[in-house]
Amino acid sequence: MTSKERVAAALNHRPPDRVPIDFGSTTVTGIHVSCVAALREHYGLERRPVYVHEPSQMLGRLDEDLKQAMGVDVNGVFRRKTMFGFSCENWKLWRTPQGLEVLVPGAFETTTGDNGDIYIYPEGDLHAPPSARMPAEGYFFDAIMRQEPIVEEQLNPEDNLEEFQPIADADVASLKAEVEAAAAGGRAVVATFGGTAFGDIALVPAPFLKHPKGIRDIAEWYMSLSSRRDYVHAIFARQCETGIANLAKIHAAVGDLVDALFICGTDFGTQSGTFCSVNTFRDLWLPYYRHVNRWVHANTSWKTFKHSCGSVDRFIPSFIEAGFDILNPVQCSAANMDASHLKADYGDRIVFWGGGVDTQKVLPFGTPGEVRRQVLERCRIFSAGGGFVFNTIHNVQARTPVENIVAMIEAVHEFNGVAVHA
Amino acid sequence: MPELRELYDAILNGDHKTSAAVTREAIDAGIEPMELVSGYMVPAMDEVGKRFECEDYFIPELLLSARAMKAALELLRPLLAASGAKSAGRVVIGTVKGDLHDIGKNIVGAMLEGGGFEVIDLGADVAPQKFIAAIKERNPQLICLSALLTVTMPSMKTTIEAFKEAGVRDGVKVIVGGAPVTAEFAREIGADGFGENATAAVALARQLLQAA
Repeated sequence: MTSKERVAAALNHRPPDRVPIDFGSTTVTGIHVSCVAALREHYGLERRPVYVHEPSQMLGRLDEDLKQAMGVDVNGVFRRKTMFGFSCENWKLWRTPQGLEVLVPGAFETTTGDNGDIYIYPEGDLHAPPSARMPAEGYFFDAIMRQEPIVEEQLNPEDNLEEFQPIADADVASLKAEVEAAAAGGRAVVATFGGTAFGDIALVPAPFLKHPKGIRDIAEWYMSLSSRRDYVHAIFARQCETGIANLAKIHAAVGDLVDALFICGTDFGTQSGTFCSVNTFRDLWLPYYRHVNRWVHANTSWKTFKHSCGSVDRFIPSFIEAGFDILNPVQCSAANMDASHLKADYGDRIVFWGGGVDTQKVLPFGTPGEVRRQVLERCRIFSAGGGFVFNTIHNVQARTPVENIVAMIEAVHEFNGVAVHA
Repeated sequence: MPELRELYDAILNGDHKTSAAVTREAIDAGIEPMELVSGYMVPAMDEVGKRFECEDYFIPELLLSARAMKAALELLRPLLAASGAKSAGRVVIGTVKGDLHDIGKNIVGAMLEGGGFEVIDLGADVAPQKFIAAIKERNPQLICLSALLTVTMPSMKTTIEAFKEAGVRDGVKVIVGGAPVTAEFAREIGADGFGENATAAVALARQLLQAA
């Protein structure tokens, strides 16, 4: 099987020849730039700075040589603008607080505060208020809350829709070129076109906007889910309409070269529980998710990809009902998320994309032997009958020992019966 | 005379405007601040905690109730200080060095305040030296350390080690919490306990300070 066929089999719940592997195809299945650099060194690849293609989480781009060394089966396509509102172009060198030289987009403009904290600016505009901060000696950026005072009577859903507008023709053309390039190598293609992230808490503070309006503070947004539900419905309804119109334009350009579409990264689970009730989910999210998924399934061959961290066991039936084909990151380390239970109860109806190894404890802090054991066990459980794409539970975090990452990759190859890379 | 039950209801329902308005009326009517705290606010936040535990309330409702409780407490705080009222204990709370996440820490802080504790919130990205200064200056009984990230969990360990080096560790109890943190990790780094969520943290704080 080619990589594309392998992933297609898994997504259609048929046994592939071996477990397909994803690293780097989305902003939730990636690897921190420092670990990408360490992997390049481990595999003896050309020594050069790694591209930071997602500057908020400082995710490193996996280039062709590293994908081949790791045996990756998937290519990713990303929206043109990053989390800070600038494009990945005009690359320049930048040194991380740990002294690693990396390549960042030209508009990656920062200043350093008195205490060493690093501030970054939306669209690279140093005259705008900074929109995110990396602590001194930190590894990635967190959004700065730029909440304007709220006058309840003047709240207008349009203010929360500034980033959800009809897609420009130039952006469609750019996505078309990206998709075609991603599909050319024979790998499966996962696309993040944007526009269908309903209330993703990483996007609510809008670090890409110079002067965000509406509800932008994270706590205020969470409270709004209960106290301003009509306002949130109004945002989601408009976003859904625009998002589907944009998908139609994009599909007309890229066709069925895409295998899976990243729909939304809104987290519903916490470590031990959930952010809201299943009833709230069914009232506030399910109708919009269902619209998007129905449109995709009626008009394209794409599978739909839902990311939600945490303990979402009780939400999975509703995710399936909403029409999602794929669940990520499958956080087995959260409450009630035991791998065997998930596979037995939902494995014939939803694809598990992730769950391969715990990134909170085993991968960063365990031994290579512990990593290997968990990876082999997860592959055994999740891969039966297809319906599984190997990935870590969310991005590989900074400070994860490279020998553990390599042990993880080698364990998947061992499970697959594939010769391990020297 | 204000209807004080409305304060309880306003906190339970997350209505910060009403909770502030009733508190103002009560102050004007000469009602003892401690009567509002122990008679209405602490019971309301206890009920919020119970509803969270039985999954009737979730994060949005916790945040709304915490805001309503804080709206009342802001008005009462100067009066409580002037009257020399005794709290359930003094707590210093913060997210550890390198970690900017504060929502979980804020919820725990609010639930502790709602539980009758005096809470000194040092914010996020707090260096060990800042915790140590707060211990020396404010003489708390309990320190709460929060971390959301695997990359900042080691900061919890270095913070506790810094307490030992500064000779302040034995005078305080230290509890830890945050998504990647576990009871096992808490033991490994020498903390006195681990709170899986905000209500568990309040119960643990009460237990530790009663035993102390």
